Amino acid sequence: MKTWKILLAAVLGTALAASASAQPTTLRIFTGGQQRPDVMRKIADEYQKRNPNVKVEVEIGGATSDAQQQYLSTVLSSKDSVLDLILIDVIRPAQWAAQGWAEPLDSYLGADRAKLLPAYLKAYADANQIGGKLMALPYFADAQFLYYRKDLLDKYKRSVPKTWDEMMDTAKAIMDGEKNPNLQGFSTAGATIEGTVCTYLVPLWGTGSDLTKGGKLNLDTPQARQPFQLYGRMKQAGVLPKNIAEIPTDRIRIDMQAGNLIFAMSWGYVWNRLENDADSRVKGKIGVAELPHDQGGKSATCIGGWQVAVSAYSKSKQEAVKFARYLSSPEVSKQQAILASHLPVFPSVYKDPDVLKANPWFAEALPVVEGAKSRPVSHQYPQISDAIRGNMNAYLAGTKTTDSALADMKSRLQPIFR
Amino acid sequence: MSVVASPAATHAPSPVKRDLSERALGTLLLTPAALLLLVIVVYPIATLFWNSLHGVDNANPAAGEQWVGLKNYLNAFEDERFWNSTLHTVLYILVTVPASLVVGLGLALLANLPFRVKWPVRLGLLLPWALPLVFAGLIFRWFFEYRTGVVNDVLMKFGAEPPQWLSDPTLAFIAICIAIIWKSSSFMALMLLAGLQTIPRSLYEAAEVDGASKWQQFVEITLPMLRPAIFVALIFRTITAIQTFDIPYAMTGGGPGESTETLAMYIHKTTLDFLDFGYGSALAALMFVLSMAATSGYLKYTRRSSGRER
Repeated sequence: MKTWKILLAAVLGTALAASASAQPTTLRIFTGGQQRPDVMRKIADEYQKRNPNVKVEVEIGGATSDAQQQYLSTVLSSKDSVLDLILIDVIRPAQWAAQGWAEPLDSYLGADRAKLLPAYLKAYADANQIGGKLMALPYFADAQFLYYRKDLLDKYKRSVPKTWDEMMDTAKAIMDGEKNPNLQGFSTAGATIEGTVCTYLVPLWGTGSDLTKGGKLNLDTPQARQPFQLYGRMKQAGVLPKNIAEIPTDRIRIDMQAGNLIFAMSWGYVWNRLENDADSRVKGKIGVAELPHDQGGKSATCIGGWQVAVSAYSKSKQEAVKFARYLSSPEVSKQQAILASHLPVFPSVYKDPDVLKANPWFAEALPVVEGAKSRPVSHQYPQISDAIRGNMNAYLAGTKTTDSALADMKSRLQPIFR
Repeated sequence: MSVVASPAATHAPSPVKRDLSERALGTLLLTPAALLLLVIVVYPIATLFWNSLHGVDNANPAAGEQWVGLKNYLNAFEDERFWNSTLHTVLYILVTVPASLVVGLGLALLANLPFRVKWPVRLGLLLPWALPLVFAGLIFRWFFEYRTGVVNDVLMKFGAEPPQWLSDPTLAFIAICIAIIWKSSSFMALMLLAGLQTIPRSLYEAAEVDGASKWQQFVEITLPMLRPAIFVALIFRTITAIQTFDIPYAMTGGGPGESTETLAMYIHKTTLDFLDFGYGSALAALMFVLSMAATSGYLKYTRRSSGRER
């Protein structure tokens, strides 16, 4: 009797296994928790409906770009095939190309490649090609903007600040007027995270200077001191939060959402959360503009955004590329713009009436995104990032002066830009 | 073989045979476990040492792997960040190991009291130990948060100016130490509690008859009888303290700057962020040396003191 049962189980087991092999392809896509996995799920559901032979699993990991990369480094260094598609930060393609982690997409696209690429914003078409090879497709664009409290600016009859000094002035006037101890003037990323790299670079670029010049490190200029001095002035004026050195990217959004911030330097996704989250206290009170600059300088911003890469170790690359192309289509770009205020990667989508209805500020966002600058492109980017953010963070915490922070930054970066 | 078994073997030949076959059986039975250890312990450690002698820069795999001898180690000795993170690690050890021993001993004595219902005390002891390290780190980060943390809330109720716990190197160090001590004391307490329960009650009864005070009983009976347990607990605690990673990682991420970065965090950064496996392996090997030095110190001391007792 018992043997019969075992035999029966064995037969059933084989039958099940056989039917499993006839099942549709399963694609597993990795996304960070901050890149709106809920929206990704909706997009994937739609794709499944149109392609009944494909099942999409969404894996959610790491809240910050760094935490995600640490996990992905482990998975991909061991050549694990568990992930088929991965959302990667715009700073990663060079590193991923050097690693061989991303499958080059050129041969899959064939003749479509020449038609496809010019349709994207140029910066994103460029960012995803390393040494002429297409490493990933753009999923959504991003840049840093100035978020401001429209209602408070109106109340104190102030205009949207064009320069950093104007912004500090306005922030102080409002803080003095409101007398709310929780209300802070201006916030940006200051913790030891990737976003803090932009905290340094944005004011540097605003002076017209850059980290490198002709491939060589360019920090011996007076402009290289400017970002430190700017935040030093803000700190002195009491405009920056006291714990600025502990602020990660999403904390800015949370503080703004709670009504505790007048100005913030942050990314596109913040808008949707401020306007739509149930606990937002600032619905309809927010404006978005381009970032301030120095007197006589020019507004600058960091380019951000996320790309879809196909894992080099995926077992269903053909299907994965098909899904990646869907994720990088104008249709999905529009959907993301409406559901998550993710900036589109196609210039045409910025003018779409539905998109503008959800995000009125997108009308002026296109030139900002087009003018956004890239962080250094290098396979050693993690070291570069570490040197910049570590010293910016130490300066904001008050443990280093402009001189020591800049000197330490230089000595760390020097061996990389020889 | 014969050399090993010789002294006893020459007199009686028959036990030799049994000895040999038992030996063979023993070896046979040990083989699977030994093989398993070889694969999951020896192989990775050997790979680590091998990598530490090579340039294995995974950020630039095109460069390939080449033999560099001791270059990675020499680089480490010249690397300020290596020395700083090692110094931070040693400071964490010096503060948190004795502190968690004292707190743990107190907790163990408390738990050893004749409570009528034992489980709430035991549960209270187990809970911090059972909590994953990184959770403990996150919980304490929220405690010490500048605006919304409970610590500053209490301080402000007393009219104090709230300090910025996590953006001041000294305060961040203190906050991290508090979290580590909270987390690791319960493990110490569990080990010491087990030791306490092996001490025969009759010793205390005899001491009481002789008129010894509670303090005398503690110093003359409890502490000496507990010494083996204390040493084992200290060895375990020191090894985990050398590897301190999760709590500072979750609380400060090494900041402000790199002022709370431990050696384990620097190794993690070098291998997982910078993908420099060669240099990272050399750093890990140096941490291994630190670990060995600390444990062998303890072992030497226990061997000497147990020898004296015999």
